[in-house]
Amino acid sequence: MTGVDWSSYSLSDFLMFGPEVFLRLFVRINQDVWPWQVVAVLAVLVVAGLLVHGSPLAKRCVLLLLAAAWVGSGAGFLMEYYGPINTPATWFGWAFLLQAALLTVAALVWPWDETAAGPVRRWQAGFGWLAMVSLLPLLVVAQSGNWHAVALFGITPDVTVAASVPCLLLMPRRVRWLFLLLPLLWSLFSAATLWALGTRLLFVLPAATLVLTITGFRFSPRSEQSQD
Amino acid sequence: MAIKLSRRQFLAAMAATGLSLRMPALRAASGEKAIVRAIPSSGERLPVIGMGTWRTFNVGGDQQLLQERTGVLKRFFELGGTLVDSSPMYGSAEDVMGEALDTLNAHDRVFAANKIWTRDGNATRDQDRASRRKWGVQRFDLQQVHNLLAWEPHLETLKQMKAEGNIRYLGITTSHGRRHRDLARIMEQEPLDFVQLTYNVLDREAEQHLLPLAKERGIAVIANRPFQGGSLFRRYQSEPLPGWAEESGCSNWAEFFLKFIVSHPAVTCAIPTTTSVEHMEENMGALYGKLPDEEQRRQMADYVAGL
Repeated sequence: MTGVDWSSYSLSDFLMFGPEVFLRLFVRINQDVWPWQVVAVLAVLVVAGLLVHGSPLAKRCVLLLLAAAWVGSGAGFLMEYYGPINTPATWFGWAFLLQAALLTVAALVWPWDETAAGPVRRWQAGFGWLAMVSLLPLLVVAQSGNWHAVALFGITPDVTVAASVPCLLLMPRRVRWLFLLLPLLWSLFSAATLWALGTRLLFVLPAATLVLTITGFRFSPRSEQSQD
Repeated sequence: MAIKLSRRQFLAAMAATGLSLRMPALRAASGEKAIVRAIPSSGERLPVIGMGTWRTFNVGGDQQLLQERTGVLKRFFELGGTLVDSSPMYGSAEDVMGEALDTLNAHDRVFAANKIWTRDGNATRDQDRASRRKWGVQRFDLQQVHNLLAWEPHLETLKQMKAEGNIRYLGITTSHGRRHRDLARIMEQEPLDFVQLTYNVLDREAEQHLLPLAKERGIAVIANRPFQGGSLFRRYQSEPLPGWAEESGCSNWAEFFLKFIVSHPAVTCAIPTTTSVEHMEENMGALYGKLPDEEQRRQMADYVAGL
């Protein structure tokens, strides 16, 4: 007997749900976790402020807040909501928890230095990050036409991952790759899923993450900024 | 008291009467006989329109969508449907089907068709047990090897399960026109009750060998992807139905596509999927009325190919 002819399969053949069910995941989690959205928004503001501050303590706090966001989106959205309709989402949920553990270790153990960048660049970084994390959640709203589907940092995975990658650029290059592996895998998985679903607006989320991640792998801060 | 109608009102009333006579709900309620086909191995008769659950019933814990899907299933039963097909591959679809059957108290109305989908050839009974628990059924009417995956050990176990009375029928499935040569070989060698394959007005490869073989070997045929995963509607819905469609028993595109399939003498039933009660009603229209004859089938295929 011949084996499986994989060339006869398309991405959508591996998808066992439609866009309606997927977009409803965002509405459902927002209904169920209220009022934790307020905490998520506050966390975004705090992270932006910490990026502007740039002290070693601020960096540790950023990483701890990122870790909390990965736990929230991994254990909540991926394992509780997305996993039941798409098994690999559950596996990613566990990987998100592992990433959160790594971030926590990095926050508590790594000997962080003062950020070498000047105050103007720190303000740019903080506000640039804030703008990105404010705009990305609206993509799901635009795709679904429903404000209740807003995809917040710390609650939904794509925005959490996209928002984390620029912060991970703070890390020394020799360890940064370890933290960028999961964002890379997630954005590939997410991009394939969203492409097959035909939710083209949402495709911006993993695409942005992919660009940022590849930048993170290649980008080397100027020597006076590098901690290597 | 005499009621005066204008010509326009009279024509509107006549049109409404004509349309209502074509509605499957009224046809079912008026006692019109649904089109059925016999399962060759037993003679048991099945309505020619069943229901698939691929993508549509995988809604996880979404209570709103669960309620909507239950409504779709309810309409399916009301309009005379019985065969529902699912698989462990379809995410939460089996759980959702079980909950919907519970809500409708319809376990005795369903012809439960499921699949074994695991590479582990020793796990047939375990997976059957797990699926039965999800569906809430004592036994499956039909258990099939999904996409020929580890088909030899699974089929051996299914034969034993059928002999023990733990399933009523056994079968094997493929889709998208894949592995037809392998499927034909299995059909020639194994005592199958059912095969499931992709057959629709555009994907007609099965007509060459598999459908005649099924007829010859006395194997019932379930046609999956009757709308080519919805793409037939995307391509043709904006086109007009041909004027002669009425003569072939078709008043909309859903009936056109489905009646083309189930009018093939070797096909036992087609299993369209839908998330909408309205679409379910259109699909079930193909369960009533007349079926196109051989010449009309040729005309239907030519018309679609020419669009």
